[in-house]
Amino acid sequence: MLHISLAAETLWTVFGLPVSNAYITTWVVMAILIVLSYLATRNMSVIPGNAQLIGETIVGGLYDFFGAIAGRHIKQFFPIVASLFLFILAANWVGLLPGVSTVGFYRSESAAEAVTKEPAKEVKPEAAADTHAKTTEEPKAESATATAGKEEAGKEEGKTEFVPLFRAATADLNMTLALAIVAVIAMQYFGFANLGGHYLSRFISFKDPIQFSVGLLELVSDISKVISFAFRLFGNIFAGEVLLAVIAFLMPFIVPLPFLMMELFVGLIQALVFSMLSTAFFSVAVSHGEGEHA
Amino acid sequence: MDKLGIEPTLLAAQVVNFLVIIFVLQKLLYKPILTMLEKRRREIADGVELTAKLKDEEEKLIVKQEKALNKAREDALAIIEDAKKQAKEVEKELLAEAHVQAAAIIARAKQEAEETHKSSKKAIAGEAIDLAVVMAKRLLSSVMGAKEQHALISKRVKDLESWAAREEKKS
Repeated sequence: MLHISLAAETLWTVFGLPVSNAYITTWVVMAILIVLSYLATRNMSVIPGNAQLIGETIVGGLYDFFGAIAGRHIKQFFPIVASLFLFILAANWVGLLPGVSTVGFYRSESAAEAVTKEPAKEVKPEAAADTHAKTTEEPKAESATATAGKEEAGKEEGKTEFVPLFRAATADLNMTLALAIVAVIAMQYFGFANLGGHYLSRFISFKDPIQFSVGLLELVSDISKVISFAFRLFGNIFAGEVLLAVIAFLMPFIVPLPFLMMELFVGLIQALVFSMLSTAFFSVAVSHGEGEHA
Repeated sequence: MDKLGIEPTLLAAQVVNFLVIIFVLQKLLYKPILTMLEKRRREIADGVELTAKLKDEEEKLIVKQEKALNKAREDALAIIEDAKKQAKEVEKELLAEAHVQAAAIIARAKQEAEETHKSSKKAIAGEAIDLAVVMAKRLLSSVMGAKEQHALISKRVKDLESWAAREEKKS
């Protein structure tokens, strides 16, 4: 059957940290970004080489692009918004690579339960090791149709489930929530750093009842920003994954290509939306109350 | 929460991951590239400025050169003009001197000629008197006596002498 899971599957638990397949992909994405950055800036010179030129085009382009929104604050915002864009873009696109969410292994559901609930239920260490040994680690880049057959074969020794080794990093709510929380906290940080205590009047103001209720609304809207950021990105990427899986399940050849192209586009757009909205919110935060003084 | 797969520890780990990537990219990518872009922008601006400056200087030099050339040409013309003027003056002086010398030579020549003329006239007059006396003696010797001859001749001689004296005064 088709493998669709809203949550990322936990593969192992290391020192109480449940390592999910999305978490592993996050590391892959980070490694890719760091290696590419290193290659781009390895031999910096006034007359750029190819790698440096590409790096300059991307970073310079992003700087101008976000600079158009942020104005004079771009120097302050740039590291975080550019990182948001590059990281989300890389994560979205890595999620489309062949092998992601198709290469994995089978394990019995009891083993899966043991791994995911280990810290809570305190499963004995031997038992955990045992489940690891039992898992049939068969990494292969096969479509979901093949997995269905395997699953039936595995049914003899109890219920088994397919666990992909990789999952698009942004198709995991932990990742998107983390990004959203960082963005919203950064927004508050920029507000306080630029306006000091005056920034507080954005949320709590006793000047008049209207200001007071507006402040409350701002507070609610900032909290809701975390949710909207996180679920927008997660929803788009996860929906794309499901769409691709379904299409590949129905018609494995040629037909998924246009959808793959669309998902590439969606990945770019979501990265742009996330980073641009962050820039816009940062700008709103640092310019709070500018109208009052004018 | 469980269905959505939200795990507080994993969430915190991802926050840390993202902070790490911001930090690393800032150190490894943004800072060097933005610094380099700024550096290049400054270098290009400097280059353009320098070019403009050099061009300006070049133009100034060309103007200066032209001025110097023009001045040299004018000076040369003035010097030539001066030389011509001087030559003319020298010519004039030389001519005047030549004229004066020529006049002096002519005057001396004239004087000499006159003197020659006078002296030759005197000589001729003296000789003519002598000749007349001789001729008269010869003619008269046959006609008159010695006494009459002598009186006549002396009278004629006196006439001749007075004529000669008058002639001399005339000239």
